[in-house]
Amino acid sequence: MNLDWLDSFLIYGFFTIVIVAGLGSLLHLQLGLARMANFGVVGFFGLGMYAFGILYVKVDWPFDDPWQFLICALAGTLVAGVAGFVIGWLIADLNEDGVLVGTLGFATAVFILATTEKELTGGAQGMGGLNFPYDVGGVKANEVMWLVVATVVVALIIFYVWRVHRSPYGRLLVAIGTNEPLARSLGKPTFRTKLWLFAISSAGMGLLGALYGVNERFMRPTNLGVDITLAAMVALVLGGSARVWGATVGVLLTVGFFDIVVQNYLPVPVEWYGQALPVMREALFGAALILVLMFRPSGILGEMRRDKLMRSLHRD
Amino acid sequence: MQLIGDSLVIGLTEHAPLVLAAIGFALLYRLTGLMNVAYSETVTLGAYFGMWVNTTFDLNFYAVLLPAGILAGLVSVGTYFAVFRPAKKRNVGTLELVIISFGLSIFLRYALQFVFGYPVRFYDVPPPQTLRLLGTGVSTFRLLALASVAVISLLLYWFIQKSRLGLQIRALASDEGLAQASGIRPLFVTVLIWFIAGVAGGLAGAFYGVGSSVVPFLGWRQFLFILLVVLVGGSRGLAGVIVVGTATGIALAALTLQTKQAYYAQVILIAAFVVYLKWRSRRVAETGKV
Repeated sequence: MNLDWLDSFLIYGFFTIVIVAGLGSLLHLQLGLARMANFGVVGFFGLGMYAFGILYVKVDWPFDDPWQFLICALAGTLVAGVAGFVIGWLIADLNEDGVLVGTLGFATAVFILATTEKELTGGAQGMGGLNFPYDVGGVKANEVMWLVVATVVVALIIFYVWRVHRSPYGRLLVAIGTNEPLARSLGKPTFRTKLWLFAISSAGMGLLGALYGVNERFMRPTNLGVDITLAAMVALVLGGSARVWGATVGVLLTVGFFDIVVQNYLPVPVEWYGQALPVMREALFGAALILVLMFRPSGILGEMRRDKLMRSLHRD
Repeated sequence: MQLIGDSLVIGLTEHAPLVLAAIGFALLYRLTGLMNVAYSETVTLGAYFGMWVNTTFDLNFYAVLLPAGILAGLVSVGTYFAVFRPAKKRNVGTLELVIISFGLSIFLRYALQFVFGYPVRFYDVPPPQTLRLLGTGVSTFRLLALASVAVISLLLYWFIQKSRLGLQIRALASDEGLAQASGIRPLFVTVLIWFIAGVAGGLAGAFYGVGSSVVPFLGWRQFLFILLVVLVGGSRGLAGVIVVGTATGIALAALTLQTKQAYYAQVILIAAFVVYLKWRSRRVAETGKV
């Protein structure tokens, strides 16, 4: 297959789309179903990336890749999951304000520790040493293969989200998000359900962080900016926060438009690439968030589609 | 003993703007019940407006405070009319409003770079003298900033607690229907609150900016502590916000001196605040009210 058209910029753009689609899908479980607005997505993502990177680079493993990568990625996922469990325990019974403070505070703490713990993380200068856990011949081939790996992982995440939607567990999450006191009064374990949801989805964000770290080959605190959280949130809200495919549709229209169409195909002045384009991108994402929630709060895909069971109950 | 003295002096002088910013945020929270994330950009814009007036018209720092505060107040009112009022009319939910304010915060933070430029900016102020206070060196400028913040905070406190308009503000926040029935004009009072909150945030931003540099993330870096101070101190009214804000500044200074790292101090305090909120979790919805 001729892949000459696929240069490094495009591969990077597609990789960003895939990662943000994964983050947005996990955020869909938290925000779209359980109504927990996680403003610290980048904290779990970053913790997974750094935990993976530190283990991968600093530990002298008795085996090589791909096992070294798999063990470290698993560890990064677990660390993010444990952090999600702890933060989830702190915020699961708080209102929107408490969730905002807890998740924002966590993301801030991760950023600070990534900056201050120089021996572990390389501090503000960052840490290199990450690489693809294989060599299929040439830089481009490795990058394309990594894009395929990330796509498969995100496809599995979306499949998991789809399964959750159509399970009793998913219906419980919707019930909690719609009316938590009512769900609790019916004997449903609302706190425990939200806690595990938050831990598992945060673990997934950590895994995506590990994949992202490998693609970057270099971890630095600037990777942990609020733009990651913003991209996942705006993609989800634009696509439809209550729909399984909401984040995927949204990310194509936001990150896809900017990182693929604008940066690669539109005749943009060269001097814009340095600062004007990234600044414009974030400003427009922020504006999109406002406009969508004001004028079409259910996003492009609209309200939640009921699964077969719920539809049959509704008909009866 | 020296640690206590240093913590008091550094905490009070360096973190004084936090109190001012928290008062403005608490007023908005009291009226709207909204965690307005975009308030952080009011702080940032205050710093930018002050810097712009200072460097363009070659004015003394204290002369720029008035225009900086007024301009930030007008932006605050503008966000109310452009975003929050229409959203309220459309019955947008509380969670969605928080996300909208997050989007607005991002929009303003990046859009302002098209107006003021990308590079880091600084105020053009003469180098300050250094005085010894409780054995700690502190610049005259920081002392003046502390005095100014204290006066402005007390004026705001007096205005809200004692003046007729302040009474109307509190009445509207407590029960909008009853306030309207009593002849209070809700739109006027609401706009007044957004303006005062913007002025407080803008002035805090000007004090932050003149103490270091003016960057697009200036307000965002302070926002978490503003939020925490209001959530924790708001249960005791504006006085509670002032006390918790002051205590937070002193604690940040003490922890920084102990750990030799300002960042660690922030992490410790963030963790302590969040654990405290968890402990008080059942009452959080009420305790943020001033």
